[in-house]
Formats: sequence, C-alpha cells, structure tokens
Amino acid sequence: MKLTRRLFGALCAAALSLGVSPIGVPMAFGQEASTLVIAVPADAAGLEPGINKAEPIGSEVILNVFDTLVAWESPDFKRLEGRLAKDWSISDDGRTFSFALRDDVTFHDGTPFNSDAVKFSINRTVAMNPYVEATLGLVKDIETPSPTQVIFTLSRPYPAFLSILAQPQSAIVSPTAVEKYGDDFANHPVGTGPFKFRAYQPDTRIVLDANSEYFRGAPQLHRLIYTVIPEASTRRLELENGGVDIIQQAGQLSAVPSEEMAAFVDNADIQILESPSQIIRQLEFNNSLRDGPFADPRVRRAIAMAIDYDGLLDGVFEGTAERVYGPLTSNSWAFDPAVQDLAPKYDPAAARALLQEASVDPAALTVKLYSFQGALWGAVATFVQANLADIGVHVDIAQTEFPSYRALHVAGEWEMALDGRQPWYNDPDAHITIGYLSSLKDSAMTFRMPKNDGLDAKILAAQGEADMETRKAMYSEIQQEIVAQVPAAYLFSPKLIVFARANIDGLVVNSAPPLNEYWGVSKN
Amino acid sequence: MLAFFVRRFLSLLPTLALVLVIVFSLVRLIPGDPAVTLLGPGATDNQIAALRLQLNLDAPAVMQFWHYVIGLVHGDLGVSLKSGQPVLNEIMLRLPATLEIAVAAVLAAIVIGTPIGVLSATRPNSGFDHSIRILSLTGVSMPAFLLALVLQLIFATWLGWLPVSGRMSSYVFVDHVTGFAVIDAWLSGEPGAVRSALLHMVLPVTVLAAFLAATLGRFVRATMLETLAEDYVRTARAKGLTRREVVYRHALRTSLLPAITVVGLKFAEMLGGAILTETIFSWPGIGRFMFEAIRNRDYPVIQGATLVFALLFMLTSLMVDLMYALLDPRVRRKMN
Repeated sequence: MKLTRRLFGALCAAALSLGVSPIGVPMAFGQEASTLVIAVPADAAGLEPGINKAEPIGSEVILNVFDTLVAWESPDFKRLEGRLAKDWSISDDGRTFSFALRDDVTFHDGTPFNSDAVKFSINRTVAMNPYVEATLGLVKDIETPSPTQVIFTLSRPYPAFLSILAQPQSAIVSPTAVEKYGDDFANHPVGTGPFKFRAYQPDTRIVLDANSEYFRGAPQLHRLIYTVIPEASTRRLELENGGVDIIQQAGQLSAVPSEEMAAFVDNADIQILESPSQIIRQLEFNNSLRDGPFADPRVRRAIAMAIDYDGLLDGVFEGTAERVYGPLTSNSWAFDPAVQDLAPKYDPAAARALLQEASVDPAALTVKLYSFQGALWGAVATFVQANLADIGVHVDIAQTEFPSYRALHVAGEWEMALDGRQPWYNDPDAHITIGYLSSLKDSAMTFRMPKNDGLDAKILAAQGEADMETRKAMYSEIQQEIVAQVPAAYLFSPKLIVFARANIDGLVVNSAPPLNEYWGVSKN
Repeated sequence: MLAFFVRRFLSLLPTLALVLVIVFSLVRLIPGDPAVTLLGPGATDNQIAALRLQLNLDAPAVMQFWHYVIGLVHGDLGVSLKSGQPVLNEIMLRLPATLEIAVAAVLAAIVIGTPIGVLSATRPNSGFDHSIRILSLTGVSMPAFLLALVLQLIFATWLGWLPVSGRMSSYVFVDHVTGFAVIDAWLSGEPGAVRSALLHMVLPVTVLAAFLAATLGRFVRATMLETLAEDYVRTARAKGLTRREVVYRHALRTSLLPAITVVGLKFAEMLGGAILTETIFSWPGIGRFMFEAIRNRDYPVIQGATLVFALLFMLTSLMVDLMYALLDPRVRRKMN
C-alpha cells in the first residue's frame, strides 16, 4: 500500500505539472488552412442516394459527393441551372423531359459519366426507395439515344419533376462502383461531385477529400469534415474556440437559436449567415370536424386574429424567424402578395366580437392544443396560450412525442394543433398538394381539409400544368381560396441560420432543399 | 471454488433469457413505430407502409421473437433499422470508446479515492477530514453535465489547455483499427496523434472519475472507521504493531471489500455508457448510441445493446466475487 501512496503523490505532481506547462491542442502542419470542419448535431442516416429519405445531414453529404442533372441557382433559388445536364427541354404536354448531358465528366473511380449512368441511377432509386414513389415513381420510361442524351417520359404531366431531379435521391452514382461494392455502396459512395468520400466513423465524423478533377473546377478546400457534436452548448464552445469552422442550420432544429445569436453577435471571430426558408409553422384546425366550435369559420378567424404574430417573432424568435401569411412562404416563386391583405390580422377586440357574433362564449371554451415536443414548440405553444387567454379562451397544451402525435393527428382525434412542413423541393406543390388535398387527409399530417371537389380539382390541375405563368395564376387562386377558409393561423417561418468563423468565405445558405454546397467555400 | 464459478456462470443464462423477453416486449410496448420515426412528420401513410414492409415490421411479434432467438443462437443480433448495418458491428464500433474512458475513470477513482478515504479515517474530524468531506460531498452531488460544462469553460475556453470535445483533433487523421483512440493513434504513427487522443480523454475521464472517487472516498472512510474500532485491530495494536502496519496491513484489507462492490457496480454501469458525459463531450460511445436507438425505436439495436449490457454487468459482478475471494480468506473458506 506504500505503492498507492507513492502513486498518489506522483499523480498529484503530474496533475500539477499538467497545470503549469503550456499545453496547446495539437495542430497538424498547415492542414487547418484548407480543412473545413462542420459541426452537425447527429450522425448522417446514410450516404446512399438510392435510399435517401430527405434526412438533412446525409443528404448534404450526398450533394457534395454526387451531382444532380440540375440544381437551383443560388442565392435566390428562382431559376434552375444545369449541372450534369448542359441543357434541357420540356414537351408541350409536360410529360417528356429531354436533357443534353456534359461529355467531359468522370466519376471519382474513373468511370466516364454518360446517359447510361443517369438511367441506371434513377431506375436504381425508384427500385430501392419507397419514399420517392409519388415523385420519381412517375417516370414511365428513360431513353438514352446517345451517351449525351437522356429522355424521361412521365406517366402524367408533373412540372415539379425538374425540382425532383435536383434532390439527393436523384444524384447520379457510378454504375461500376455500385457493381463493385453492391450493398456496401453506402460505405463507399462514388459520384462525380466536388468532394470524394474518404472515411466514415459512426457517430464521430465523415471525412471528404477534394476532387481536384471536378468538372466545374477543383474546390478551394482540400478536406471537408462533418463532425458530430450532439450538445448545443458544446457546439457553441467549439466554434468560439475555433475547433470547428461552421455550425449548421440551427434554425430548423428543435431549439430557438436566439441564445447562440446573442452569444455570437458581438463576437468578431464569428459571422452569422441567414437565409429565409420555405418552412411553415402553423396553428392548424381540424378542418374536417362537422361540429364543435371550430366548424364555424368565424371562430377559426377569431382565433387567428387573437395571435400577436409580430410579438411572437420578436419575443420568442428574436429575429430568427419571418412572417407567413398563407400556405406559401413569401420567397416562393408562386407566392401571391394579395394573400398578405387577406390574412387575418392581430386584433383581439375584433376577435372577441367575432366570437360573440358566432354566439360562442369563450369562457365555456376549453381547447387542447397538441404540439410536438421540444423547447421551441413549447415556447410557441405557451405564447399562443397566453394570446388566446386574452380573448377568454382557455387552452391546455399537450406536447406529445412524435410517433404518438402523428398517430392521433392522422386519426383526426384533435381540434387544434401546432404543425408544420419543411418542403424539400422548390415548388408550391410541396406545400399545397399534400397539405390541402382533401383526399389525403387520412394518410398524412395535413390540414384535414373537408371534402371539396372544386378545390381538389384546382390543386391537381395546378400540379400538372406545364405553362409556368398559367400555373402561377392557378396557385394564386388556390392560395386566396385557402386563406379565405382560415384552415390555420400561419405563425412563422424559421430562417435557416449558419454560424461560421469569420475567415470562411463563399458559403451560401440554401433553402429548398436546405442543403449547402462547399465547392465554392474557402478558408482564409 | 471452480465449481462455485461454473455454477454462477450457468445461473447467468436464465437471467439473460429473462432480460431478453422483457426487453423484446417492452420496446414493442412503447408507443411509436420505427417507420414513422425514421420518416419524420412529412411522410404519408403509403411511404410508411412501404418502409414497414421493407423493415419486416408487419410480421407477428411472436414470429419476430422466434426469428430473433434463432439468430441469437447463431451469434446474429440482427440488423439496425436505421443504418441497415449488423447490430453487433454497430455495438463493437462504439464499445471501445466507452471502455476507454470507463477504465481510465475507474483507475483514476481508485488511485484518488482510496488514499483519500484512508487518510480521512485515520485523522477523523481533523481539518483535512473536513475539507475532504466537503469536497467529496460536492463530487457526489454535482450533476455530471454541470461539472462537464464548468471544466470545459475553465480548461478549454478560458485556459485553452485542453480540447472542448471529441476524441481526436479534426486535423489529425487516424485510421480505425482497434477503435481505441490512443492505440489507433499510436499505430498510425501520425505525429501528435497520441498526444491529441490523450488530451481529449482528460476532461471526460475527470467528470466520470470525480463522482466515483468521491463515492469511493466516503465509503472507504466509513468502513475504515468501523474497522479501526474492531477488536482484532485493538489486538494488533496491543501486540505492538505500528500504527501504519495496523492500518495498511490489517484494517485496509477488510475495509476494501464493500468498496470493491461499489467500484464493480459503478464500472458495470459505466460500460452501459454515460449518456450525459458522452453527449457533452461528443464522445461516440455506447450510451449515446443506445439513447438514439431508443428515440428512433430501433428495436434490434435496443435489444442487442441491452443483452450486451446485461452480460457485461453480470461478468463484472462475477469479477467482484472473485476479488472478494482473493482479498478475504473468510470468503474463500465459505466458497469451498
């Protein structure tokens, strides 16, 4: 036991010497200057485009390792640009999409890129991925008349198809690599993108190396590392210490990033990049209910007028979210500005009067407000609760774990709920069709719109209209009709926020899909 | 004695079977469907049904259980619903990270906690004893996440001596060989890699060790005080042995027995992963893995990991029994 004591002494001495000697975190040899470290809150669900289900982290890695035929042009996402496709045309009936492909591209494994690879990749995703049944599943036939030509024929007109081709599920994979690795392709993804896959350590990090042969030019970074840091406070410390270069997309996650905003806003070493998103969060009514107070549109309007929208943005979100007026965000190309005037405005006195007109006694009204779990939803629910208390309506909040919440929502066992949608493709179809088509009400978390053949027909017609101007007009009409029915109080749209070290240049925050590209990013 | 251990080992099997049945039914009783969780709020029923089919979730529970047991017999723990990778591989990838800090923390706790307990007991109610008691009370009652945050702020942000989180500097690239960061770093031969791995361990190990060292110190102090009042200790003193010989040769041995139980149980618990510590230090261990699996309703992972935990727990308590026998001749006699 003398040994123990001696050891104890040695340990103390060691601890002391650790304390006085200047130990820096080791830095390896100039690599920092060209290695970009991105902190993400969770591990990627997978790096396989074929089975991608729109999980954000894996999807972003996919879009940096692979290319798609087309992509939305940054920074405003109003126009598509060609990537692996040089040019394209759409037939008048909106069913045939012809692409002219680049002929100077090779995959990371040396396989040349051509129309066969396109056909192979899209067919592969359709076969592997039930998630794309309603979108890529529309492809009836793919023709490859030459190595640089590919023609898709759809079973019905679907103008959002181009948007779908910009999705990670539509990334073009190397057919030789798929053959070589088989089921293990997910661990050896091979594409044409600006970065090559190097290593994946589960729950730890994903390492990508620059593709110096990239057809748009070699990236400026030599390595890209996604490092998993689950705890928000740790991510913050790491960014402040320079251990990571970027904290990604705090805005769309389950917490309000205002605490980080406050911590970073005065820090000259850190820049805050933000971009409006197409995410919508709303207080929605179960619009299919035939009886109960909310079957009366006047009551729904009164509730919508009781909510202090600007107060919510200032008080809860401190500038990290924006107003929404109807079923589309203001940055959507199909947004109709007229909706801004049609939307109910904050006016508690008028709300009380409306309730009286509908002969509803607010004191007799007790409503359960269902919500997702998490601090952000809790804060929103409490804010709404206080607003409704002002007009005399008593609200009980029920934050419910997601799977149970979905089950009771789809079953229609609720009156009022907080909900939202984050569209991945840049098309009004992503919000309108699934949210408001009455035939879908029992199959997903929707607004549960009552059966309305007229509105349903308009929605389906707009979904398939090939002419963009006509289409936009159709969506204007749909937006106005929806807003007039007050199916929800549209609460806010969170901004996409990225925190980066001040020496990071060239990063653009993408909105739909909310995935960033690092090809043009540099570190000074 | 061998017979004793064979008997103990065999008695583990029914316990494991029971654990298996309980976990298998419990995970299916939690409301929530893995397919729903994996696809998120935007999914339609059609998409969910297709995924359920793909994941083979529609088979009756009894059949699923049967297939699972058959697989187990062949050493197959199934496939993770989230990643599609074999569960055993997934566990083995993360276990080294947990083992690494658990072993280091237990060693540190023994080295610090035992002498502290002995020193306090031999000087009861002295100034040293009082300050150690306050310190260890703090160690026991301070929540791990708070201690972790404070340490991060002081040593990483303020002083800049240690890294905030992770197992290795981002700028050092080391291939995965054994899964133990220090060993892999050493094998890689990358300059600075071993140092980086060791420095990254300091804070998480401190957090884990603090609680254990404090518990251990309090335990050793209490049992030591009791032992020092025993008749045989007085006899030893009367024989003319020095105080040191009495304390270290006679009293400490017996006082260590309960301490070993505590250390053993705590060590087994740490092998199950310290979720908070692993989360705050971005330590990719088994605790966080299990936590995520429960959130995602990843049934095969929850089942597999629980089985592995149960096995580790039982083996640890077997080891504790073995240590008892080694340290105390009275226990040895009883076993035979």
